[in-house]
Amino acid sequence: MSDAVADRPKPIVSRFDPRFEVTLYRHVGVAGSHTLPYYREHGGYEAAKRALTTSPSAVIDEVKTSGLRGRGGAGFPTGIKWSFMPPADERQRFIVCNADESEPGSFKDRYFMEDDPHQVIEGMIIAGFAIGATRGVLYVRGEYYLAYERLREAIAACHAEGILGRGVLGSSFDFDIILHRGAGAYICGEETALMNSFEGLRANPRLKPPFPAQAGVYGLPSTINNVETFASVVHIMAKGGAWYAAMGTDDSKGTKLYQVSGPVARPGVYELPMGATFRELIFDLAGGPTMPAKAFIPGGSSTPMLPWTDETLDLPMDYGSMAKAGTMLGTGGVIVIPEAKCMVDAIYNIVRFYAHESCGKCTPCREGVATWLPKMYQKLLAGLGTREDLVVMEDMVRNMRGTAFCPLADACAMPVQASFKYFRHEYEHLVDHGEPLHARRDWWSA
Amino acid sequence: MSAQLELPTVAPFFADKPDLLVEILGRYPDYGRRSALMPLLWEVQRAERHVGEARIAEIADILGLRATEVKGVMSFYSTYHEHPVGAYHLQICATLSCSLAGADELYDYLSEETGVVNGETDREGRFSIQKVECLGSCGSAPVLQINDDYYERVTRSRCAALLEAMRADRLEAPWRERSGDTDVADPVAARADGSPSGTGGAP
Repeated sequence: MSDAVADRPKPIVSRFDPRFEVTLYRHVGVAGSHTLPYYREHGGYEAAKRALTTSPSAVIDEVKTSGLRGRGGAGFPTGIKWSFMPPADERQRFIVCNADESEPGSFKDRYFMEDDPHQVIEGMIIAGFAIGATRGVLYVRGEYYLAYERLREAIAACHAEGILGRGVLGSSFDFDIILHRGAGAYICGEETALMNSFEGLRANPRLKPPFPAQAGVYGLPSTINNVETFASVVHIMAKGGAWYAAMGTDDSKGTKLYQVSGPVARPGVYELPMGATFRELIFDLAGGPTMPAKAFIPGGSSTPMLPWTDETLDLPMDYGSMAKAGTMLGTGGVIVIPEAKCMVDAIYNIVRFYAHESCGKCTPCREGVATWLPKMYQKLLAGLGTREDLVVMEDMVRNMRGTAFCPLADACAMPVQASFKYFRHEYEHLVDHGEPLHARRDWWSA
Repeated sequence: MSAQLELPTVAPFFADKPDLLVEILGRYPDYGRRSALMPLLWEVQRAERHVGEARIAEIADILGLRATEVKGVMSFYSTYHEHPVGAYHLQICATLSCSLAGADELYDYLSEETGVVNGETDREGRFSIQKVECLGSCGSAPVLQINDDYYERVTRSRCAALLEAMRADRLEAPWRERSGDTDVADPVAARADGSPSGTGGAP
């Protein structure tokens, strides 16, 4: 037993491991990469072709072997999610692509859709085959107009070449995609809210259960995954689940897209194997901060921030390590917060975002997130806050946790709680002196 | 209020576009006809810069809904407009990463230059301003969305040049900002050795 462990090759957890190669983002940024001829020249639709010669259960097994976990933020194992679909009956089934990327700090999916839309379509074909869905829904956020146009062209090109429609790629599998454009609502990233929005309703989340596998789009069996998850499936089918599982840590396999924003030398999207450290992402790839930093948000605005220390920077970016550190991997959207930014103001910015995006359905979120909490921040920032206000705020966010239909209230509460945990002194300075520890400054470059 | 003064005799929007209507309705299964609601709103808005009362009633008729139902959906989303926006609808992302790159100052500048504040359209119908939430351009912040297009890494000087171009009605298509792994001409070759490839500028 111990010999077997010793013999196992060391997993790939660094971008600089010579065995690592960029796969997901290989073509993003290349001129003309969004066209079908380019995609096919680079091996496009071969993975789908191969998948279609096997069986749905074989595809699901391969994805289970890979250890892929959903890349939309929650990290649910993809293969297991796919096996939740009820046994096939005469009802229409749907595979849904959640392309409503809108978590602040996340911008990886947009580049996919703009520069490599066929990768997303190919992933949807494979997933549709695996769960027995002949129809796909691709819900892209309204602001991503270029992405929408590129996807529309890509889908039309696929129809012209027999990649979508009757008998996909010469097989007996029929599959088509409905492209649907959102109209500006963060809540549509929540799976059931997205389904309501697609159906032409207000995007209020639905009570679960029933889960989408039982009653999803139009009340029919549905499976929903993130853009990056679909793209990952393409490479898993092309190179095998074992190839994918050789990258990453025990509970987090494969390669993933991480994003860095805030004051760093080279902000952007970088592909790394899971388990690489924040230091590798922020320093080795993004060139390090351009001004002293005091904290970073690890995975999109809803994930609790971590203080800027050698210890936190050396944490591996995987699901388990983040949970142990009291935060979450989320979408992998890292935001660096500079020393000179007033933390209360930074968190108010996030709170204001969630206040704007609350759908108003559940009381704790409507009253807490959308109404009371931003007003408290406004009071503090106006120099009118008291120490008692801080106690009230902490109590309020505690009561917002886990008390609504969907996680939006939690998403707002978590960054607030983390800021109180690590930067309570900035709140106290503000209420004691009536002005922030770090004065407002001009952040705009010439 | 002005919307209620609209003449009821305005020609129906989709009356002379039967093919478009069939195409949009045809995207969805028969039992999902209502899904066409958002695309229909988009069509009207792209043509008229807002969706007025008469159009709302028309869309409701097409889908067998009441006008209030259509309005209820429309008002849920932040990108549909009840009143006309300007020929240049300036949408400034105000969320954290953009704010750290100067979005607040960008807003102040545009507001001062155009004379309108968040949610307003100027008298000539030329400029309107809307503060919006995260546009997914955090790595190339700050971002200014003009109508459908993203203008990224809008520095002070770039912003001034954009404004001048809009005033002269010769706004050019946006530059394609790339960052991180997407910011090299040939990423496949550049990344063969796994070395860092991003060359994005300072935010």
